[in-house]
Amino acid sequence: MKVPISWLKEYVDFDDTPEGLAERLTFSGTEVEAIERVGGEFDGIVVGEVRTVEPHPDADRLTVCRVFDGSSEHPVVCGAPNVQAGAKIPFAPVGVTLPNGTRLKKARIRGVESHGMLLAEDELGLSDDHAGVVILDDPRPAGTPLSEVLGPAETVLELEITPNRPDCLCLMGIAREVAALYNTPLKIPKVDFKEEDPPAEERTSVDIADTTGCPRYTARILSGVRIKPSPDWMQKRLTLAGVRPINNVVDITNYVMLETGHPLHAFDQTLLKEERIVVRRARPGEKMATLDDIERTLTPETLVIADAEQPVAVAGIMGGAGSEIRDDTETVLLESACFDPMTIRATARRLALNTESGYRFERGVHVNGVEWASRRAAALMAEWAEAGIARGVVDVYPEPQQDWSVSCRWDAVRLQTGMEVSNDEIRRILESLSLSVTHADEAGCTVQVPTFRRDLEREVDLIEEVARIHGLDKVPTPSPQARIVPDAEDHRTNALIRLKSQLTGLGLFEIMNYSLVSDALLDLFDTSDREARLVLPHPISTDQSVLRTALIPQMTETLGRNHARQIDETRFFELGRIFRQGPEGHEEQEQLSIGLAGPTGRTGLGRREPVKPGEMFLWMKGLLGALFEAQRIRDWRMEAADFPEFEPGYSVSVVLEGQVQGRMGLMASPIRREWRLSEPVAVAELAVDPLLAHREDSITAQPVAIYPAVSRDVALVADESTHHEEIVKVIRKAAPKELENIELFDIFEDEAIGRGKRSMAYSLTFRSPERTLTDEEVNGYHTSVKKALRETLKVTIREG
Amino acid sequence: MNIKNITEIQDQALQEVEAASDADALEAVRIRYLGRKGLLPDLMKQLKDVEPAQRPEAGKRLNELKNAFQERFEARKTELEKAPSPADKTTFDVTLPGSWRGLGKKHPITQLMERAIEIFHSLGFTVADGPDIETAFHNFDALNHPPGHPARDETDTFYLSDGDLLRTHTSPVQVRYMLAHKPPVRIIAPGRCYRRDTPDATHSANFHQIEGLYVDRQVSLADLKGDLTHFAHEAMGPKTKVRFRPHFFPFTEPSVEVDFSCHVCAGDGCRVCKQSGWIEIAGAGIVDPNVFEAVGYDTREVTGYAFGMGLERMAMVLFGITDIRHLYENDLRYLGQF
Repeated sequence: MKVPISWLKEYVDFDDTPEGLAERLTFSGTEVEAIERVGGEFDGIVVGEVRTVEPHPDADRLTVCRVFDGSSEHPVVCGAPNVQAGAKIPFAPVGVTLPNGTRLKKARIRGVESHGMLLAEDELGLSDDHAGVVILDDPRPAGTPLSEVLGPAETVLELEITPNRPDCLCLMGIAREVAALYNTPLKIPKVDFKEEDPPAEERTSVDIADTTGCPRYTARILSGVRIKPSPDWMQKRLTLAGVRPINNVVDITNYVMLETGHPLHAFDQTLLKEERIVVRRARPGEKMATLDDIERTLTPETLVIADAEQPVAVAGIMGGAGSEIRDDTETVLLESACFDPMTIRATARRLALNTESGYRFERGVHVNGVEWASRRAAALMAEWAEAGIARGVVDVYPEPQQDWSVSCRWDAVRLQTGMEVSNDEIRRILESLSLSVTHADEAGCTVQVPTFRRDLEREVDLIEEVARIHGLDKVPTPSPQARIVPDAEDHRTNALIRLKSQLTGLGLFEIMNYSLVSDALLDLFDTSDREARLVLPHPISTDQSVLRTALIPQMTETLGRNHARQIDETRFFELGRIFRQGPEGHEEQEQLSIGLAGPTGRTGLGRREPVKPGEMFLWMKGLLGALFEAQRIRDWRMEAADFPEFEPGYSVSVVLEGQVQGRMGLMASPIRREWRLSEPVAVAELAVDPLLAHREDSITAQPVAIYPAVSRDVALVADESTHHEEIVKVIRKAAPKELENIELFDIFEDEAIGRGKRSMAYSLTFRSPERTLTDEEVNGYHTSVKKALRETLKVTIREG
Repeated sequence: MNIKNITEIQDQALQEVEAASDADALEAVRIRYLGRKGLLPDLMKQLKDVEPAQRPEAGKRLNELKNAFQERFEARKTELEKAPSPADKTTFDVTLPGSWRGLGKKHPITQLMERAIEIFHSLGFTVADGPDIETAFHNFDALNHPPGHPARDETDTFYLSDGDLLRTHTSPVQVRYMLAHKPPVRIIAPGRCYRRDTPDATHSANFHQIEGLYVDRQVSLADLKGDLTHFAHEAMGPKTKVRFRPHFFPFTEPSVEVDFSCHVCAGDGCRVCKQSGWIEIAGAGIVDPNVFEAVGYDTREVTGYAFGMGLERMAMVLFGITDIRHLYENDLRYLGQF
């Protein structure tokens, strides 16, 4: 909301700079977002009188004017539609610098000399309006400095009003805050006027069919009205506050709205059927053209102001075109009313119609201030529109609201704020906010709350008032006190932090993707979960319309995006939630995804070698193995399994302690080619919780054997179909418990060995926890291992 | 073989040891003299052929030869080991790139989140968690958002078709925790939140908050200020100041906005703080009694404070991030900076 300081001073005296005032307001809860200076920088700009206006010989939209600046005439090419001979218009001669910084020079525009410029509001820095040049309604002659005509610079505060304070959506509301802050009285304008017969109630009637939607409606009748521009001071204030002046009657309703927070509406009384008002819900299919000349179809939820036959306004939001004030309007029905915030909000949303009026009704208008606002407007209309005011007002207010009382304990204020504030100061602050103290004793006080402060219902609400006016800078800063809550523990948090540290220790970079994805992305990987996807009925875009059911799609997308930016080696992980519709409702699960692309398993030289699929697969497997080891998971394995997103043959389930907890594989080539990833890419996705299952307090340490270890190598030639794990199993079974470790140290394929065969070399380490093993013993173990391999797997043992 | 002969051999051997220029050459000398088929074992074998009278003397001399050789050999070996190998010294290029793989990095949001957890742990807070998909009860009703409150609008909040919603803040975790635990309560709740904002430089469809809640007997705004000042000092430097500005939130009363003095200019005004000297960090306040009533706490017994801060916002301020979307683009070069 815009508050011109000169206008604010009409209601409250205070002695402070705009910056000082802004600071006080901000720190008492009315945030000043900006301090604007308007006008004032008019050096060299004068009143220019347009002597002649000729069409430009070479441009349809331009005119060539001769402008008199008080001493001589200048040719000026002008594009404004409203320029006319005889008009007085702000004129900037050559050499002047405009408020926006433009310095004017002699120019030729489409072949015609132009010496200076006729100015619009935006060029003067008055507003952002560029619809036409400013027509000055001022008797002073051409050549008068513009600053004498428009007056000094104005300062306007731009305020942010929080939703709990609709009473501050007007100048008098802000003035009330200022009065409390500076401890000065509030100045309330006079609303005296003469009234004439016949009384209003004989000239119109008001019927409220829906008192929920409209708790109060007042109508006042003004006759003999003369429509003309409102006075300059009023136009200027409206413009500074961001409202466009129209004519005296409409301007007065807007002026009073900005002043009091009460949106008013003026109808041409003679255009109302039977000259009366009915407040009701719209009938199905009822239509009405609003003031913006748009034909709107109303629904039965819409609250309307109607005459005897049809709607004449969308209640609280916008008037109808059919009953608006015209240049020849003489009789005005002035509406001042109160409407239900929810009803107004729903209608404003439905019609997508945001108005100053609707904004205030949505937040709540002070029902007991309705009649005063009407009188204030009537007084102004009597003064500035020659209106004769019918006696009295038609005021339908079936259930009048009363002020209420709230009690506040002195100690509670000090306890909850931590501030040292005396009982007297508490009382002074409450009273300065128009809360009258009806009772006070040692324990506390009781105040009467006026109906415009609907936000004050409880003790805490009063505590807040005291805190913000007394000043939150007075809240002390005690030393922080660590406080341990019994039984509170944080193992999972710490375990997650450790997990992430391990992942970065393994060389991975953490990524973060949005939880919302597109159906199309998920479909690319797996269409079988479609039924389980949680889809937003009202997304912002289809790109973010479904909650992700897996992390792998975005992981792949991320690898692809980096690849597209010529980053040829990437190692990423993401920890995030996935979502699906389960039989019992929504399911959320924390997942870990890992993605590798490029020669990520190689260090040093040789990184330009193309990455082979097997190599990439084993990098990922090795990485996961290291992670499981770090998480103390000893029992894990990978089982071949077909996942639609993985390359056949390079696709496994990850089994941790007997349960499938995730999947890993090489991304199927048709999918990775979507991102032009030409080399193998490995991805994995696992549930997080099983990774955190082994707490550090579950460890029992064992002493290690100190006797020397003895190694023996065994090399064998086997069919390719004989898997490493089978060989290991046979070795383990054949070897005694002294077998400490089996390490595969070489794989060799060659024509010499035979097609479909490979040589695999293992180093076996034996060690006893009790004694030094003899050569004879170890040779014996070695022999039985070789024998078992030969007999069980039909392999050839390579000797020598 | 005679004594003189042995002496000559000794001189020759010791000379050769001395002349060995590297470990390999020295080993060759050792093998020549002491190896299984070396000269010394050979001489030992010849000893039986020596005249009996000279035999003890020859044996003694041979032993001396062996000892002298070994002594000199060990000395030379040590010498050679100490001396840098001239071959390596001249040929190895120490400027070649190293070949150990580097560490990864946590996402900047995670880094901030973990830092915050660490600091609040030191004050006795523990972490509480809740689902991303929330009920209107936990997200709004229990947090004193009346029906018709603008934040509940479909234009601002993502709803699912069954009426549940993506939480718009981490505050529903307060509600869940209080429903499950009796006071005292001292928790933080970091997590992901969602608002129906059109993405731009400062808005994204999801973002992260860290929520704090302390409920006990006689908790005041001063406790809030003390604890947040500790956080400010730890997170942004020991000279950081904290100030409160009054504000409005439905679930706290009084409500405040919390500013930290700018870490770049220390309050003088700069580009980061838009010349104000202060950076808005959190919304906070004293828990509204309506919230306690919704979770069944006795408002005569306990009071509490709550706060919530946006991690993306903090990251943008701390790291000078110009567009929130950079945080979700996951470009390795970008992530590598943190």
